[in-house]
Amino acid sequence: MAFSRRVFLHTVAAGSAVAVAGMPLTALAATQVKYGGSAWLGHYPAYLAMTEGFLKEAGIEQDWQSFGTSSSRMSAVMSGGVDIACTGIVSALALMARGAKQFSVIAIPENFGRVEGLMVRGGVKSIQELKGKKVGVTFASSAHLLVLDLIAKAGLKPDEVTVLNVPAPELPAAMQAGQIDAAGAWTPQFDAIRKQPGVTVLADDTQFSLYQSNKVTPGPDVLVVRRAFAEKNPEAVKAYLSAYFKATALLRDKPEQAAGPLSKLTNLSTEDQLAAVKGADWYSQAQQAELLKGPYIEGLQKLAELLVSHKQIDKAPTVKEWIDTSFV
Amino acid sequence: MSKQPSRSALLSTSAASIIVFLAVWELICRAGWIDPIFLPPPSAVFAKAMGMVGEGTLIGNVLASGRRVMIGFLAATAVAIPLGIILGTSTYARAAFDPILSFLRPLPSMSWIPLSLLWFGITETQKYSIVFMGTFAPALVYVIEATRNVDPLLIRAAQNLGANRWQVMKEVILPGSLPQILSGMKVILGLAWTCVISAELVAAREGLGFLIMNGKEFFQTEVVVLGMLLISITVLVTDFVFRVLENRVLRWQR
Repeated sequence: MAFSRRVFLHTVAAGSAVAVAGMPLTALAATQVKYGGSAWLGHYPAYLAMTEGFLKEAGIEQDWQSFGTSSSRMSAVMSGGVDIACTGIVSALALMARGAKQFSVIAIPENFGRVEGLMVRGGVKSIQELKGKKVGVTFASSAHLLVLDLIAKAGLKPDEVTVLNVPAPELPAAMQAGQIDAAGAWTPQFDAIRKQPGVTVLADDTQFSLYQSNKVTPGPDVLVVRRAFAEKNPEAVKAYLSAYFKATALLRDKPEQAAGPLSKLTNLSTEDQLAAVKGADWYSQAQQAELLKGPYIEGLQKLAELLVSHKQIDKAPTVKEWIDTSFV
Repeated sequence: MSKQPSRSALLSTSAASIIVFLAVWELICRAGWIDPIFLPPPSAVFAKAMGMVGEGTLIGNVLASGRRVMIGFLAATAVAIPLGIILGTSTYARAAFDPILSFLRPLPSMSWIPLSLLWFGITETQKYSIVFMGTFAPALVYVIEATRNVDPLLIRAAQNLGANRWQVMKEVILPGSLPQILSGMKVILGLAWTCVISAELVAAREGLGFLIMNGKEFFQTEVVVLGMLLISITVLVTDFVFRVLENRVLRWQR
C-alpha cells in the first residue's frame, strides 16, 4: 500500500492518541512543583506528602530544595526558583512591607508553641537576670522576635542584653562552648540545646505577648505560592493542597507513623521526632477557610505592627491583601 | 601629535560618567522596569543613608568594620613583613616554611569562621582573627616576592664594598623591596575588607557586613546597596591615604 501524506498524518495522529490513552493518568497530568524546604517542622507536611506518595497520587511531582533560612527561601520564590514554600511569617511580612506582590499565602500548616524558646545556663531563672548577658539568636527569625519581646516585656532596655546574631545550626556549639549565656532556637536546635547539661528552658512561644491575646506565635508558618505559578496551574495548586492536608492529617492522627520517615529529614531520634510532631497542632483543610479569614489574620496584622515597633520592618503591610483562599 | 587632556577635563569626564550612570539607574527604576526589591533607585539608597545618619547608626557601622579591618590588617602585616623579609633572603627558611604557606594561602577567610569561633568565642578578637587569617598568607607572599626581586647585582656590589649582613639588609634590600611591599599591602588592605564581611556574618551586632546581611534578611535592598557602596567608598578612601603615605615614605621613588 502506498502511503499518501494524508494517510501518514492520520496514522501518526491515531497512534499518538492510542499511546496517550494508554498512559497512566498520573504520568499524563504530573505537574512539577519546586518546593522550598528545610528540617523545620513547618515543612513536615510537604515532606511527608512526598515520601508517602500523596503528591504522586495527586499528579504532582515535587522537587524538594533545601534552604537554611526563610529569607533565602523567599528570595528563591521572588526569583522564580521555587513555586511553593513554607516560610516563617517574618520573612513574608518583610516582603509584604516592601510591596512584593509575587506571592500569596494559601494555607496555615500548624500552630506550634513548645518547640521554640529561650534557653539559659548558669542558673538564670528570670528574663531580668539576663541583664549584661550574651543571648545568641538567628536574626530576623521568629526566635529573634520572641527574644526581643521577652526582653521588652521584662522591662529591660535593648542595650542591657547583648543579643548576637548566630546562625541556627551554630547555636548548640556556641551554647556548649559557653560563648553565649542564652540561646533562642527552634527545633531541631531547640531539642539539642535543651538536652545540654545545666541548660533550662526559660520561656517558649506561649509566653509571647501575641500568643496570649491572639494565639499567634512569634513566627507562625505560612504556606505560600508564587502567584505566576498559581495563575498558570490553579488545579495543580488545589491538588497539591489536598495531598498536603492528607499529610497534616497523618501528623495529627498517626504521629507514630509520621515520625519514622521524618527522622530522615531531621536526623532527630525517634523519641525527639515524635515529641516534635506532637508539639504542634496540625490544621486540617476544613479549618483553613476560617483561619485565613478570621482572627488569626488579625493576629498576623498585629505581629506586623510589633515588628515595626521593634524596628525590624519600616511599615506594617495590610496582611489580608496577600491571603488567597481560592485554593482551599 | 594631539594635546594631552588637562587634569580638570579628565575630572569632569569622570564626574559626568558618575552622574549619567546614576541618572540612568534612577530612570530605569522610576520607569518600573526593575522592581525596587531587586534593585532600589539611588534616591532610595540616599534617603536610607540620610535616615541612618539621623539615627546615628551609619557611622557606627562604618567605624566598627574599619576598626576590625585595621586591627586585623596591621596585625597581619606586623608579622608578615619581617617574616617575609627573612623568608625572602634565606633559602633554608623558605624551604622550611613554603609547605605551610602553600597550605595556608588558598584558604578563604570564610573557612576560618568555625575554628575562630572555637578559639576566640563570640568576641571582637574572633573578628580580628578572621581578617588576620584571610590577609596574612597573601601579605607574606607579597613580601617574599618583593624581597626576592631586589637586584642581586646591588646586593653583591654592597657586599664587595664591605657591607655586613645587617648593612645589606638596611641599605639595599629594605629600600629596594619597600615599594613593592607597599603596593602589595594596598592590595591586601582591599582584601581585608572582603574578610571583614565574612567576619561579620556570624555573631555581629554592627559593621557593614552585618548591615548587608541584616538588610538581606528583611529584603531591605537599599540597605544592602548602601552597605556595598560604603565598602567601596571606604576602600577608596583608605587607598588614597595609602598613596599619600607611599609618596611620603618612598621619597626616592619619586
